[in-house]
Amino acid sequence: MKTQFKTWLLAFIALTVLSGLPMSSALAHGEKALEPFIRMRTIQWYDVQWSTQKFNVNDEVSVSGKFHVAEDWPISVPKPEAAFLNISTPGPVLIRTERYLNGKPWTNSVALQPGGDYDFKVVLKGRLPGRYHIHPFFNLKDAGQVMGPGVWLEIGGDPGDFTNTIKTINGELIDMESFGFANGVFWHLFWGALAAAWLLWWVRRPLFISRYRMLDAGLEHELITPQDKWIAKLVLVGVPILVLVLNSVTANRYPDVIPLQAGLDQILPLPAQVNAGTVNVDTLKAEYNVSKRAMVLQVKVDNRSQGAVRIGEFATSNVHFLNADVSNVGYIHRKDDVSNNGLTLDNNTSIAPGEQRSVTIEVRDAAWESERLDGLIRDADSRLGGLLFLYDDVMGKRYISSISAAVIPKFI
Amino acid sequence: MSAQIPISTFKPYRGEKARLVRAYDYLILVLALFLFIGSFHLHFALTVGDWDFWVDWKDRQWWPLVTPLIGITFPAAVQAVLWDKFRLPMGATLCVAALLLGTWVARVFAYHYWNFFPINMVLPATMVPGALVLDTLLMLTNSLTITSIFGGAAFALLFYPTNWPIFGMFHQPVEVANSQLTIADLFGFQYIRTGMPEYLRIIERGTLRTYGQYATPLSAFCSALLCSLMYPLWWHIGKWFASTRYLAKI
Repeated sequence: MKTQFKTWLLAFIALTVLSGLPMSSALAHGEKALEPFIRMRTIQWYDVQWSTQKFNVNDEVSVSGKFHVAEDWPISVPKPEAAFLNISTPGPVLIRTERYLNGKPWTNSVALQPGGDYDFKVVLKGRLPGRYHIHPFFNLKDAGQVMGPGVWLEIGGDPGDFTNTIKTINGELIDMESFGFANGVFWHLFWGALAAAWLLWWVRRPLFISRYRMLDAGLEHELITPQDKWIAKLVLVGVPILVLVLNSVTANRYPDVIPLQAGLDQILPLPAQVNAGTVNVDTLKAEYNVSKRAMVLQVKVDNRSQGAVRIGEFATSNVHFLNADVSNVGYIHRKDDVSNNGLTLDNNTSIAPGEQRSVTIEVRDAAWESERLDGLIRDADSRLGGLLFLYDDVMGKRYISSISAAVIPKFI
Repeated sequence: MSAQIPISTFKPYRGEKARLVRAYDYLILVLALFLFIGSFHLHFALTVGDWDFWVDWKDRQWWPLVTPLIGITFPAAVQAVLWDKFRLPMGATLCVAALLLGTWVARVFAYHYWNFFPINMVLPATMVPGALVLDTLLMLTNSLTITSIFGGAAFALLFYPTNWPIFGMFHQPVEVANSQLTIADLFGFQYIRTGMPEYLRIIERGTLRTYGQYATPLSAFCSALLCSLMYPLWWHIGKWFASTRYLAKI
């Protein structure tokens, strides 16, 4: 007994000490766990920006950006016939108040078209203070989640200040945080009281052993009394009648109710933004050098635009490899998903209008490994995908190509 | 298990024996309560799952079909033991009450305090009226067949009207994003669930609406038929589970 007590005491102390140790919170949403070919060749995000990353409860924040649905959609991934643009959050620390796809408001899921271009905007409202790692991402039916770029959001203020009032079609203003709660609790207590009364009616008298013995002795008639039967008949008739009456009262109280909505939104893609035909890029070969952590792409660029263009960036799976020699590579990147010198060319001169040129691009960075993109060479589908950005320095234009190719690994 | 005691020689326990037997009753009751809270709640969460978790899953087609069908399982099994061995007509009500206790604890602590969902978004459904009818019908008829057919059917048919006073108000329409949604749908849109995209909801699928758009009665009667079959199945599972056949050999 004494030894047992000591063991339990020791276990209790150990658990107490362990629970007191500092614990770091999860900093990601498993986005690197998804197979690289899915991350690279399904939803290709770009120009994603947040209106602000520091705000208070009740303040609105929006995330907007663009994405291209890859033409080279993996054969093993179901086509995006139902897709839902979502926000990864640790619970509803923010609420989603508006969402737009190609400028159109939408609430349900949507069918995306491979090869299509879309822009999006999601408006959110701070609900619970804290510091959270948030991504926009797509839930793809039967395929899973494809994450967009993540950021840290800091929400300040008091959670008690949060309000979320909406107006029904009939003009009634309701508070979404408390609507229907008191009513729900009332009915649960009401039926709970009836259940408790029925249970107590039986529990108040001797139960298991006594009743078993009496039943065994053939005294069944003493176990169920006439009073029990009378009450049971009352319950059997009264409860269904009460249910139907209450249902009818509710139906009369809310005559304009509608069923839950289950439609699929139909939103067509924008006019081509990626692979628009002005500057065409054809990928001839892709090799991944394992020891150098470098992807070597041989591409043929056909510049049909009016100005000279230079290859400035390759983006895949939210990692941006930049050509340091091209100055106007557009938007602001954070440190963790950008490689400032990650892209070099065998010939860095501008590609003249009307020129067709074969270019060897080396995309070299530890990010291939740290972002687990190099796992591609061990996948059954080892095709690479991504967006190649070309810039016209003079005209200030940008051309985007979605490229893809089978990857050949080079181990030495 | 034991030899039948002739009525003429049957003597009820008195004194210390009676007190001990009563203490045993309470012990079993408390254990049974925790057992049913845990097991039925787990069973329900794994099978009915989202239909009971979220207000925007409680549709008129699948919710009234699936919930009673799964909900009648444990009540049938426990009734088989409590009625057959003890003539206690409270198996269904006990199970459903235990389920509700467990569900409310989970909704308040896991969904609200842990995961920040407003509780009105995760209000559970109740099956208490159906359970009371099931218990009383079994008691009055003492018939597995009648309870299966009429009790099972009543358990299913009463489910939707029982819960309409709780959830009907969530079906009022609101205009959002140039379309109409119910308040329940709006909960699903506004209160972000990372792992629960809208398309995952299994609501309003199939062509039951062909019948004059009255999906609920058809679902309820389909559920009634299935519950009538599910009830005896789980009754026998309960009987098998509570067998003392092997105990006698120890």
